[in-house]
Amino acid sequence: MERLEMLNRRIERERNARKHAEAILEEKALELYKANEQLRQLNETLENELGQRINELYISENRYREVIESAQDIIYTISPTGHFTFVNSYVESILGYSESEIIGKFFIEIIEHSHRKNLIDFYTAMVQQKQKSTYSEFPVLHKNGTVVWVGQTVRLIQHEDKIIELVAVARDITKTKLVQENLLTTQARLTTLITNFQQGMLVEDENRRIILVNQLFCDIFNIPAPPQALIGMDCSQSAEQSKYLFQNPDQFVIRIEEVLREQKNVIDEELPMIDGRTLKRDYIPIFLDNKYQGHLWNYKDITEDFNIRERIRKSEEKYRGIMNNMELGLLEVDNDQIIIRAYDRFCELLGYTEDELIGKCAPDLFLPKDFAEVLEINQAKRATGAASSYELQLVRKDGAKIWVLISGAPILDEHGNVVGSMGIHYDITARKRLEQELAQANMRAEKARQAEKQFLANMSHEIRTPLNAIIGMSHLMFDTRPTKQQLEYIEILKTSADFLHSLISDILDMAKIEAGRIEVQKHSFDLVGLLRSTQRMFQLKLQNRPIELDLMIDARISGNYSGDDLLLNQILHNLIGNAEKFTENGSINITAKVKKEENDIIWIEFKIADTGVGISQDKLELIFQKFKQVNLQGHKHKGSGLGLAITKQLVELQGGTITVKSQEGEGSTFTVLIPYQKIESEMFSETLEIHPASPSLEGSKILVVEDNLMNQKYISSLLTKWKIDFMIASDGIEAVNEVKKQLFDIILMDIQMPNMDGYEATIKIRNTKNLNQNTPIIALTASAMLDKKNKTKMVGMDDFITKPFAPNQLLNVLNQYIKIVNWPEHHQALNTTKASLDRKRLQELYGNDKEYAADMFKTFLSDVLPDFAHLQSLLNQQDWASLSKLAHKLKPTLGMVGLTDLESKMLHLETNVTQNPDSESLQGLLNTVQEELEDNILILKKELETLIST
Amino acid sequence: MKGIIFTEFLEMVESQFGYGMVDTLLTNSDLPSKGIYTSVGTYSHREMVNLVANLGIITQTPSSELLRTFGRYLFSSFTKHYHHFIEKAPDAFTLLGSIHNYIHVEVHKLYPDAELPHFSIEHPQPNVLIMNYTSSRKMADLALGLIEGTLEYFNEKAQIDQQLLNTDGSIVKFIITKE
Repeated sequence: MERLEMLNRRIERERNARKHAEAILEEKALELYKANEQLRQLNETLENELGQRINELYISENRYREVIESAQDIIYTISPTGHFTFVNSYVESILGYSESEIIGKFFIEIIEHSHRKNLIDFYTAMVQQKQKSTYSEFPVLHKNGTVVWVGQTVRLIQHEDKIIELVAVARDITKTKLVQENLLTTQARLTTLITNFQQGMLVEDENRRIILVNQLFCDIFNIPAPPQALIGMDCSQSAEQSKYLFQNPDQFVIRIEEVLREQKNVIDEELPMIDGRTLKRDYIPIFLDNKYQGHLWNYKDITEDFNIRERIRKSEEKYRGIMNNMELGLLEVDNDQIIIRAYDRFCELLGYTEDELIGKCAPDLFLPKDFAEVLEINQAKRATGAASSYELQLVRKDGAKIWVLISGAPILDEHGNVVGSMGIHYDITARKRLEQELAQANMRAEKARQAEKQFLANMSHEIRTPLNAIIGMSHLMFDTRPTKQQLEYIEILKTSADFLHSLISDILDMAKIEAGRIEVQKHSFDLVGLLRSTQRMFQLKLQNRPIELDLMIDARISGNYSGDDLLLNQILHNLIGNAEKFTENGSINITAKVKKEENDIIWIEFKIADTGVGISQDKLELIFQKFKQVNLQGHKHKGSGLGLAITKQLVELQGGTITVKSQEGEGSTFTVLIPYQKIESEMFSETLEIHPASPSLEGSKILVVEDNLMNQKYISSLLTKWKIDFMIASDGIEAVNEVKKQLFDIILMDIQMPNMDGYEATIKIRNTKNLNQNTPIIALTASAMLDKKNKTKMVGMDDFITKPFAPNQLLNVLNQYIKIVNWPEHHQALNTTKASLDRKRLQELYGNDKEYAADMFKTFLSDVLPDFAHLQSLLNQQDWASLSKLAHKLKPTLGMVGLTDLESKMLHLETNVTQNPDSESLQGLLNTVQEELEDNILILKKELETLIST
Repeated sequence: MKGIIFTEFLEMVESQFGYGMVDTLLTNSDLPSKGIYTSVGTYSHREMVNLVANLGIITQTPSSELLRTFGRYLFSSFTKHYHHFIEKAPDAFTLLGSIHNYIHVEVHKLYPDAELPHFSIEHPQPNVLIMNYTSSRKMADLALGLIEGTLEYFNEKAQIDQQLLNTDGSIVKFIITKE
């Protein structure tokens, strides 16, 4: 029973426990459901939130990525081992590497080599010491090898005490670095410059602390410390400390304070020191953006400069004193002639004070207008930097004019530019006056000289003209079959006349030699004859004196020589005359011998030895000098003293020499050596016999223009003798009239004639249309003056004969000028070449129109013919262009008168001139043309007569 | 106290003394729950104290001995019900060391209202494990039985010294030294 009850209790308990448990489970299930429900909700919420968060994170990440990618810095992460794990794309623009190239790289690889070790140490320390953040700057290698400076901040990223990675922001600071480096370099340069400046330099900051100072500064102020030790020191008391170095200590301090207060540039202040030195000081305040940053002191020891300047100043004062006391007036003007400075003497010269002059235009003030050009020319030279001297007049303040000599020189600035000019004025008024007087005197003297010259010319003319007649007549007298005695008289008459003639010539020669106008003329002469004639003349002279005159002639000397016989005659006369003068008795020996022969030049030595008084050795050298007469005391012979001087010059003019040997008391020997040309062919030897005229001259027609009746007679006698037809005109006017009437073969023209002289007559004949425009004109002149001779050529004369002339001289000239026009040949040619006119051509040209043909022939003969003469002169001048032109012009005219053959010859001439001008061959051609033309002139004249008559 | 402790206790009593003892205990003990226990329920630990005390009186066995024995029984029961906890541990010390930081944590997850003793573990030497027991229930004997059950389970032998660290027995130190 009890057991049953217990079981019942057990069942009861079990049942209750079951129910209790079921209740609990029910409750738990509900709880579970609710919890589950809550969890589900929570999950949902969480999911939403997660999505949202993920989205936000994504946005945020994008934002950050964008920030990182767009950052103007390189942003990267790097593992603690130093390998890049991330980098933004900006890296490429800075370093040239792409992101993928960088990632995984060991950072040291891109660091510039020299910085690698330092950088490894730096970042190793950072990692070890776990520094949260660091900054450093270093150079990185760009992919292309260039260096890029970066400054980077690195942060450690840690988690639970462990370094996960490092994040870095790196910035390109290359430019900054460069600027920094430049700044440093500049600073270093400036510091070096200032420190090494050869002047004392001190730079202070705005608080007067020393920033820079150099050794020279310390030296100047006797500061024993080295400059580096002074940097940073306070200078506010330095003036006070160093003021005792200066002559005016208090002023020194006050001035420094003043300068510092004003903060303005102060340059070149001079500070005399008590030790005698002089300092120059500059103060330069330093401003940065208008803010005062300190200043610079610059001290320079200019003791030497100062002393030099002092010396210069004193020297300048000295020279100024000298200049002011000198007679030289100095004036300085600028390029516009404005007076900058006028020295005392100049002011005195012109009567102004310096104040009145300064700033004024110099030429306006005192230059007369007449001299403006002179000044202008000279000032123009100044502009080119040239100095010059010139004379001009200036007007004083009081109006008086003074003459000054100005020596002008340009004033140059330090760059060499002309900034003005300096003129030194010297008063030459007195000198100028003297000069004018002298000039007047000189003019008077010149007039007198001219008068004298004219007198000489006139006298020689006046004497020579009658002498000419005497000589000429004596020649003619040889032909009058004189008796032997008469012949002897005539000989003496002639010799004396010749002697007189030579004496006159001597006087003239002297003048000519003096004027340097003597001309050695070359004649063919008989040397032996000349010597014998001379001997004979002197023998006559010495007839009653105990002096023997001997002549010895080298056998090799014979025939004619070319040379100046007149000069030789004069030389011999002088020397023999001298010998005769100084010899009382004894002998005079004349010898002539051939000294040497060079080709056709023969050197003939003439010796005149006397037994006279001789010349002492010490005088020998003087005898050839002008006016040095070696007179023995009381000697009876006196002279001009010109004789031997003239002789020497005459010898030397001919290329010869003269020497003298003498023994006092025993005699003298003069030796003359002169070169002559040997004439091989016997030409027209000049003898006393009058040569017969060559047959070619017969029939010639000559116009003799001569006013002197005696000369008229002399010439007409000769011409008649030579059977030459002539006409006489007694002055120029008659001559000019005659040449219009008929053609002459030659005209002999006297120069000095009444009414119209020879020059004028020649000019008229040559330049007016007449038959004799091209006829040779020979001047007959008594004047031997060279300038007269030149004048004859200038007016158009062909040659000249000096009066008095020998018959053969005249004959030579006639032969020379008349031989081309050979009358007998003309007559011959007339007969033989009558048929030479191109009849066929003339027929073609004129047909039966004889009047027209006559007209053409007449024109050719009167107008065209004279032009042919010009051919020769153009050839002489070698004026090929004109010659060719003239030939071309004349050529067709020949055809017009039927001279076809000549026409072709002219063409040949023309062609040759144009293509191959050669004087010699052209002369040959021209000669042929001229000859043939001459041959045809008569034919043409004859033809013309025929044409007119029919 | 969790219902499983009561149900396992009554099981042990029934298996050793028959259901008559169980009925006696439940009938005579002052039990607010009237002795109706389910493993999923939670009951006052006083009921357990009363049950153990009454069993001690009936069986003339000290309650400490009863609790120690129950501890050993309980552990073997645990090996059946909660073998997934126990199997993870390779040896006794590992299991004992993980009680507080692992097993109790997991128990709390299942039974948020469970009141569990606190154990702090010391492992001064490889063969020595010190467990400091702290609990207001003062059931260190139950703990000792459990420790012994553990060693038994792993077939390990160890000397267990039990030191009272205060008078009421709420803090007890177990020094387990493996042989």
